[in-house]
Parts: sequence; C-alpha cells; structure tokens
Amino acid sequence: MPDTLAIKRISASPSALIPLASLRSGGPVYSKLVDISKCIGCKGCEVACKEWNDLKVEQTTNFGSFQSHKDLSSNTWLLMRFNEVELGDGDDLTWMIKKDACLHCEEPGCLFACPAPGAIVQYQNGIVDFNQDNCIGCQYCVSGCPFDIPRYDKETKTVAKCNMCIDRVEAGLEPACVKTCPTNAIEWGIKEDMLALADKKIDRLRERGYEHAAVYNPGGVGGTHMMYVVPHGDRLEDYRLPAHPTASPGQLRGLNVLQRVGSYLLGFGVISALVHFLAVGPERPEESV
Amino acid sequence: MVTPLIKRFSFVERIVHWVVGITFVALLATGLAFAYPSLFWLTMFLGGGPAARVLHPQIGVLFGVGILFMFGLWVRDMFLDRQDRAWLGAIKHYATHDRDNVPPAGKYNAGQKLFFWVQSVLAILFMVTGGLLWFPESFGATWLNTARLLHYASTLGGGLFLIVHVYLGTVAYPGTARSMIEGTVTPAWAKLHHPRWTGDRVDR
Repeated sequence: MPDTLAIKRISASPSALIPLASLRSGGPVYSKLVDISKCIGCKGCEVACKEWNDLKVEQTTNFGSFQSHKDLSSNTWLLMRFNEVELGDGDDLTWMIKKDACLHCEEPGCLFACPAPGAIVQYQNGIVDFNQDNCIGCQYCVSGCPFDIPRYDKETKTVAKCNMCIDRVEAGLEPACVKTCPTNAIEWGIKEDMLALADKKIDRLRERGYEHAAVYNPGGVGGTHMMYVVPHGDRLEDYRLPAHPTASPGQLRGLNVLQRVGSYLLGFGVISALVHFLAVGPERPEESV
Repeated sequence: MVTPLIKRFSFVERIVHWVVGITFVALLATGLAFAYPSLFWLTMFLGGGPAARVLHPQIGVLFGVGILFMFGLWVRDMFLDRQDRAWLGAIKHYATHDRDNVPPAGKYNAGQKLFFWVQSVLAILFMVTGGLLWFPESFGATWLNTARLLHYASTLGGGLFLIVHVYLGTVAYPGTARSMIEGTVTPAWAKLHHPRWTGDRVDR
C-alpha cells in the first residue's frame, strides 16, 4: 500500500501543539511489533539497517557481551541490547533482548522539545523523522526523549536516529529490519492489526507459562509505533524499557507556561514604559549651572 | 563661559558596559529565537540557526567575562545605605518626578544598586544553566530540562530589566545616556539625579 506521507506535526510550529489534520481519509497508521520471545539474537536487523540507510560502519570491540556495539550512535540507529539477567535466585542466565531504536511515539517528546522549525517531522502514518537540514544541533531532543534514542554527531553537528526506513515505507515496503528478520520476530503492519496480533501472542505466551507477558505500548507518550511483546512484562527495567515514560516532563510543561507568561510580561514591560513616558514625560535637568 | 562637565564613567567602565550590553542583546535575540518559533528568524542576524546555536554559548562566555569585570569595577559603590532604603520607600515619588519627596542619591541610586545585584545573580544563573545546556552529553535529561527552565526564567528577568534600564537611561531621563557614551554628564544632571555625588569636573 503506497503511503502519502501526509504531515501530522512539525517541530517548533503551531502543529507541534495541535496536530495537523490530514486532507486524505483513512491513511494507513503503521506500527512495528517486536516479539522479543521470538528473537534469536542474530543481529540481521542491525546489518539490514546499516545497509539500507548507508550508515557508516563503526569499529567494534569485544567487551564481554554478545552485543555488537556498546551503544547507539549517530550512525548506528539500531542496536540489539543483550541484557543479561538472572531470572530466579541463582537460576539460569537469560538474555532479555531489547531492540533499541526509535519507538516513534504518537506524542514525540523529541519533537515537543525541538526549537528548530522543521527539524523533526511526524507523519500521519506514525513515523517521526529528523530532518538534519533544519537541525541546529542544540540536542534538546536528546533530553526530550524518554527512551534515550537520538544521538548527536560531533562532525555534522546534527542529531540522528531511526527513521523507520521512511523511503521504503513511502514505496509500500516494510522497514529493512522487518524484511530481514528470519524468525518474524519483527512484524510490520497497520497499528490496529499489530495490537490484535500482540494480544494473540500474549495469549500464547501465557499458555506457555509466561504469566506476565505483555505488550509495551506506553500511554505516557500516546502509544508508540514500535511496540514490543515482552515475555516478562513485570520486569520492564531488565529490558531497559521505562515503565512510565512521558513525552512532557514537568520542567518542559513549566517551560511552555513560562514562554506564554514571558511573552506577555515582556510586552507588558514595553507598554508600561510607553505609558509611563506619556503620563509623566521626560525629566530634564535645569541647565542653569 | 563654557559650562564644565563632570566625569561619570571612565573609558574602561564604558567598554565593559558595552561589551556586556551588546553581548546581552545578541544573547537575548538568539535566545528568544530558540524559545519562540515565531522569532526563529532572529537567528539570521548571527548567520542562521546552526551558527546561532554555536555562537550563543560563545558570546555567553564573553558576556560572563564582561559582567565579572563589571562586578569588580562597581561592587564597592553598590552597597545600600540608610538613605538608599529611604529612597526605595519613596520610589513612587521618584517615578512621578516629585523630586521634593525623593531622598538624595549618591553616585548610584538604590534602584541602580538593586539592578546591579539582581543582574549579578541572574548572570550566575545564566552561566551555570547555560554551561549545562552547552554540554548536554555530560548531564541527564532531568538536569537539562531543569536547566532549560531556569535559563528561560532568567531570560524573563533579564529581558524585563533591560527594558527598564534602556527606557530610564535614554528617553525617560535625558542627559543620562551620554554618561555611557562620552563618559561625562552636566552639573545640572548630576544635581538632579545624584545630589550626594560630587564627581570630578573636567573641562569641555
């Protein structure tokens, strides 16, 4: 299904607060669904991501983990985190793998925090994309993201992250990581369908004894367009998934109030000076010395 | 006979004042551009968004150095005495040009002294929070968002003070601005605004 890429929100514009409505009816709203119970840790998705997006290769080192890179970077947009966790008391060591990449929030904290018009764009289909041409490199998006995803590039002085292979999606294709996944641990489709699929997967996991299996689609950011099925839904912190992420932390809400109050106060200051001048006029010294 | 003039600000004082003044206006313009999308165009005066982002903290360092010098130059004259407190009590008369009920001011009146102290505190707040925002990778999101909130709050205070400062120093009190340009004032001006201050007379 070809996508229209109708825009929903643009950073540092009125649409950041009130999303734009689409002229087109019923455009597709997509989501990835990452079933962690089906991931075999092959990292094929990491390779596909690098290849499709032409991202520079980074030298990696063995740091005592099966994980390829230590962290995300401006040219590593997808990292399978091999979180090593002991489930019971001294029980088996388990990998609680997390596909670390942008979750494409419905309410994107990065976009809300961004001061550069057009540097971050959210499309009606759910994709949140960074436009480096408009980025000023302030990194407010980094502190605005509740998932610690955007990464600053010191050479280009811009910030980068997963763009959900928007060029593939636009052409009616699935993102590269989805295409390459050999176990279909990463699925792609209409968000409602993915939620229904998640429910089925959770039922099956519960039958298998994972009684806390859950879908990760946090409401604090309005839901995400990359959702997870986590077998151990009661241990989100072990997956490095925040239990209560929020798109608008208190300080940034305070900032919005301050900005509004501030503009009135500064205007009031100018007008007061003008009124004072008209009321009492200038006070001239008597030049008679 | 030519009226003699009174020296108010030395060359160094004027240079320091204008370094602080010009850098503050540049910082305010770029800061407002980052705070208000509708004012983002202000970044073009410093070469566009990315350039403004690079220059804002660098100009901030210059501002910080300037204000530090300014503090050292003027702090001795800035402690409030008893007559200054009386002056503050009569600020209503000062604002309405009712000079008979305004206690005489020294080299600086109480309003100027408070301005000095508030701007010094704001400058510290600016530089601490600005330093955090300059190197965002070294701090967590909570620190950065808090720093951003405080940085904006300081801007609000600094912006309001700038409006008052410029208004009083120019159109409200003619003869004041020259003290920061040529460095001199007329005896009549000194007698009106700072009766307790006897500056050094210089020949025109």
